[in-house]
Amino acid sequence: MFEPFTDLIPSFFGTLNQYPLGLTGFLHLVIILPMIVIYKQEKKRLENEK
Amino acid sequence: MNNKNKGGDMSKRTVSVWTDNRFWMRSAGWVTGFSAALLIWLTFDTMSQIKMGNDEDLKNGIAKRVPGPTVINYKITYEMSDKRGHEVPVIGGKEKFFGRDDWSEKEAGALLHLGKLGSQAKNCMNCHTLLGNGAYYAPDLTKAWLDPAWGKIDSSGNRTGYLAMTGKDTREEAIAEFLMHPSQYPTHGRMMPNLNITADEAKGLVAFLKHMSSIDTNGFPRNFGKKDTTLREKRSN
Amino acid sequence: MANTLKWEGQQLATWYFTVAIVLFGAQLLMGLIAAVQFLYPSFLFEIFDFSVARMIHINALILWMVFAMVGAAYWLLPDETGIEVVGIKWAKLGFIVLTAAVTVVVVVYIVVQIGPANDMTIWFINEGREYIEAPRWADFGIAIVLVGFLLHVFLTAIKGERTGIVTVLMADMIALVGLYLCGMGFTDSISMDQFWWWWVIHLWVEATWEVLVGVFAAYGLIRIIGAQRQIVEMWLWIEVAMLFGSGILGMGHHYFWIGTPEYWWEIGALFSALEPLPLVAMFIHVTYDWGKQQGIAKAEGRDTAIANTPALAWFFANAFGNFLGAGVWGFFHTMPQVNIYTHGTQFTSAHGHLAFFGAYATILIGVFYIAVQGTNNIKRLKATFDFKMGIILLNLGVFGMTVALTISGYSQVLVERAQMGATWEAFFISQDTLWFVQGLGWRLAMGVVTLVGFIYLVKDLLSTGKNKIHER
Repeated sequence: MFEPFTDLIPSFFGTLNQYPLGLTGFLHLVIILPMIVIYKQEKKRLENEK
Repeated sequence: MNNKNKGGDMSKRTVSVWTDNRFWMRSAGWVTGFSAALLIWLTFDTMSQIKMGNDEDLKNGIAKRVPGPTVINYKITYEMSDKRGHEVPVIGGKEKFFGRDDWSEKEAGALLHLGKLGSQAKNCMNCHTLLGNGAYYAPDLTKAWLDPAWGKIDSSGNRTGYLAMTGKDTREEAIAEFLMHPSQYPTHGRMMPNLNITADEAKGLVAFLKHMSSIDTNGFPRNFGKKDTTLREKRSN
Repeated sequence: MANTLKWEGQQLATWYFTVAIVLFGAQLLMGLIAAVQFLYPSFLFEIFDFSVARMIHINALILWMVFAMVGAAYWLLPDETGIEVVGIKWAKLGFIVLTAAVTVVVVVYIVVQIGPANDMTIWFINEGREYIEAPRWADFGIAIVLVGFLLHVFLTAIKGERTGIVTVLMADMIALVGLYLCGMGFTDSISMDQFWWWWVIHLWVEATWEVLVGVFAAYGLIRIIGAQRQIVEMWLWIEVAMLFGSGILGMGHHYFWIGTPEYWWEIGALFSALEPLPLVAMFIHVTYDWGKQQGIAKAEGRDTAIANTPALAWFFANAFGNFLGAGVWGFFHTMPQVNIYTHGTQFTSAHGHLAFFGAYATILIGVFYIAVQGTNNIKRLKATFDFKMGIILLNLGVFGMTVALTISGYSQVLVERAQMGATWEAFFISQDTLWFVQGLGWRLAMGVVTLVGFIYLVKDLLSTGKNKIHER
């Protein structure tokens, strides 16, 4: 499950790549999570409208 | 619209954020902007990793994904790496290229530059693929430098493959000769046309091909030359 | 032909559409020559080689679509913003300059073809990088005209009413034009070269262009079936989020094998695997809105909600074609475990043919029909026999080509890559295998079907405007 780092040159992304779905998980999470903040803000705005 | 307000709370009402255009507009803006930022971060990292190496790296045996132009002075092979789990280019000892193994960084750079220009000016990519990209009318050129079809000189001194066809003693001369007069050395009904490649341009193109075969492509093409045993020989130096 | 159009911008759009159709025809002709050469390699050997036919085939493809997209933008802009395109006289000049430049480039492609390995060739004859072979002088010309186009869009959008559709169009065009600049450099390193090359190609066809499909579909659905703007624009924002969310980092699926780090395997595979999802969303959007609007129409006693049957039919062709060609066929080979064997084979070509056609040709032809309706002041544009022949034969033809190439590609991958390890010998042996050759034969046959369909399409586009059957 955990892959040792074998690529030629080390990097932050290569390190994350060692963990199962680590790289894709991190990137997806970091993109989607702030949508929760946006959701909450929009919810408040809509509720307070009118 | 049903109103779940209990008591006298007048400020909250049932809303649907999921069908609100502003929510999706802001989400689209965020996702796009942040993905682009991540791409730029990744690009910086990749740029540093694929920057062409130099002569010092080669002399000190420092592996780079894209070696410098003076890699033409060295023997290149393509071997399985158990650590990486796929084939990798291996840069071996010195090997003569058009009679010399002491091409300077400037000379080798000039050859590579000419070859790259030539590969574009002659429109190679519209028949061949380079690193797998291009047209599919002619073979992939990523490891063309290492192709067994160029032939070799066997133990009794007989030439095989293109060495025999072109009457040359070295691979680079055979490739250059082929490039200058391709339709004179056909191996198939689908021939390469004459592209008016001069002797100098041919040399540059061969340097370009040799350099390209030394790039670490994460194992593409897989099992190159598997059927032929020539490339499976252990390095003797 | 009298101009009955209210806006000059829309008139300019029809000029762009006309050139687009001519280039589309050139693309098909060149494709046929190349397809014949695969089977009969001595055909026009050293006179008009495969590399020349193929180069014009793919350049005509990209250019006709760029012309059509620019035209579509000019068509919808005055309609959406409510004002004339700002600087319309300059925009018309831009069209003339662009068309002239393209003509010169193509003539040089045909007559001169290649040059010596020096900068003059790169500047004036051929830059030799797939799809963007246009010599450097033309690169600059195209870039200038496109930046000009961007200005027209921007200035019109900020002056007139800025709908959601216009906002997305504006933002997307900035990205689209900017990305073209990424392909304008020269480098000695083939890895660096291809890294940046994909910023143009991938971020065009798998990001910014797909967003344009969303924009044109949104605009079309409002005009053709009276879909509600708020719903259509909500879908558009969702689509943009999904398209860029998957497409921007999905570019990594072109960075598996060009010398770039191994982490691109995971990023590229797993982001690009999501790229079909927004295409599913667009598919659902079009079919759902159509059903809903038809239902509303029937309930209100009207016999149909559809004001332009050919356009809507082509939008449906887009819904299917985009999902199948770009989504499914793309997904087949987006995993590195598969791609290491299929990279650079007829499999790739199969995907490319159905994707370009299904994602872009279809929707742009739909926009052509919207323009025919507008130009001829037709209230309800109906289906003619020529239209039906056109849509059936074009779709059948391209899909048939795709299936044929898939079979050839499968055979090639098996023999050349899996069995024989991608050498020169492996390549030529696989090219001669039975399935491979038969696949190419069927591809040629279906290519002819496609051309016949195109002829019907052109016939219909030229004649349907005057047809008595339409409601005016």
